[in-house]
Amino acid sequence: MNDLLNHPAVQGGLAPFVAALIVALVLGRARLAGLALVAAFCTTVYLVGGFAFEPLSATRKIVLLALAAPVIGILVDFAFKPTRLGSAILALAAGAASLWVFWPILQQKDLRIALSMGGGSALFVAWLVGFSQDFLSRHPIRAGAAGLGLGIGVGISAVLGASALYGMYGISLAAAAGAFLLPQVLGGRKYEAGATFMLPLALTGGLLAAATLILAQLPWYSLPALALIPLAARLPAPEKSALWIQAVTVSACTLAVAAAAIALTWQSGSRLPA
Amino acid sequence: MSRLAVALLAVALPLIAVAAPENYTIDPTHTYPHWEANHFGVSNWRGRFDKSAGKFTLDRAAKTASVEITVQTTSVSSGDSDKGSRPRSLDEHLRTPDFFNVAEYPTMTYKSTGVKFNGDDPGTIAGNLTLLGVTKPMVLRVENWKCQPHPFNKKEMCGGNASGSFKRSDFGMKFALPAVGDEIKLWIQIEAYKN
Repeated sequence: MNDLLNHPAVQGGLAPFVAALIVALVLGRARLAGLALVAAFCTTVYLVGGFAFEPLSATRKIVLLALAAPVIGILVDFAFKPTRLGSAILALAAGAASLWVFWPILQQKDLRIALSMGGGSALFVAWLVGFSQDFLSRHPIRAGAAGLGLGIGVGISAVLGASALYGMYGISLAAAAGAFLLPQVLGGRKYEAGATFMLPLALTGGLLAAATLILAQLPWYSLPALALIPLAARLPAPEKSALWIQAVTVSACTLAVAAAAIALTWQSGSRLPA
Repeated sequence: MSRLAVALLAVALPLIAVAAPENYTIDPTHTYPHWEANHFGVSNWRGRFDKSAGKFTLDRAAKTASVEITVQTTSVSSGDSDKGSRPRSLDEHLRTPDFFNVAEYPTMTYKSTGVKFNGDDPGTIAGNLTLLGVTKPMVLRVENWKCQPHPFNKKEMCGGNASGSFKRSDFGMKFALPAVGDEIKLWIQIEAYKN
């Protein structure tokens, strides 16, 4: 059993998928299927190294924010009406959170590099959170497809960017999105996505990609490529057809963009000096 | 009375000179910490850190000493630095948050808290290893310790081999456990010049 739980494919893929599927099935009727996202991520964090917050490294700050995001998401979904201003506030907060995560590392860098890395990462995370909340959170199929693309894109790019740890964390987001989509396409009934699903997905996915840029070897231009994934989830889809057709169509779009981002990262890797 | 004082001082002065602690600065071009970690329970990976610095103080008459070494974790080297057609080399992977997280924690330090002498030479060093922002005790055993003038430039020097081990999980380095072993063995070849 231990051998099985120590396998990276189980830690990053199978176990988070099962955890997310259980949460989605159990909490779907309570409009909380979005918690599948955090269930999957926590499963991977627990299996890979467990929860620890001392000293509070950048990776641990990301885990902390991933735990806080669904709490804020539930508050947003149940206490407020979704508005563009609300999405903008969440985006700003996400950008600030990104600076909080990476500030100790940025301080050690040359000012020009710190400004470009810190500013770029904050913009990237703010964009993912703001756009996803505004345009995807009320569309569970598109939200799930965005999660699939973002998780795969961030996860595989992170592995190519030299961090298998961030890779597994990223893939767990894709596993969660798959588990969130599966009961919908099989049962033909939509779940609520909302900020409960979208905020942890966009914030965690964005921070993981930014962390791979700052702490590992993700090239900067992978970020704008990954930023296109939520846009791809907004492309026209056959809205009146069966849910599984919608899911396959939108997922194909997001995965195509993710594949392009991965290809960019792969190419850059082979050019990096040894 | 004053003659007695002068006589006592004359006798004591050389002893005071011998007992004075001597300060040494580690020669970074002859001091390399080497590490070893098991891989998949099959083979033992070995590598080293290419850049380190430090100092120690030695008082052989009083049999006291202290040592402080700072290792640049950015310089971790496994021999696999050329990625070739692969997306990354092992050295690049070792530098990420999966292992040494060098962008966030660029140094690893060891500071002694006490040194036990074996005869006239340092034998066992108790101290604290700080890695990834976590400080834990670690003991280093010293072998082959020798102090002498450098054979060519005649500067006073000391050197020897220190070894110890730690569990990487104690420092929060938990990625790929247990496939990549928890116990990390360290060997440090030290050479230092008297200040």
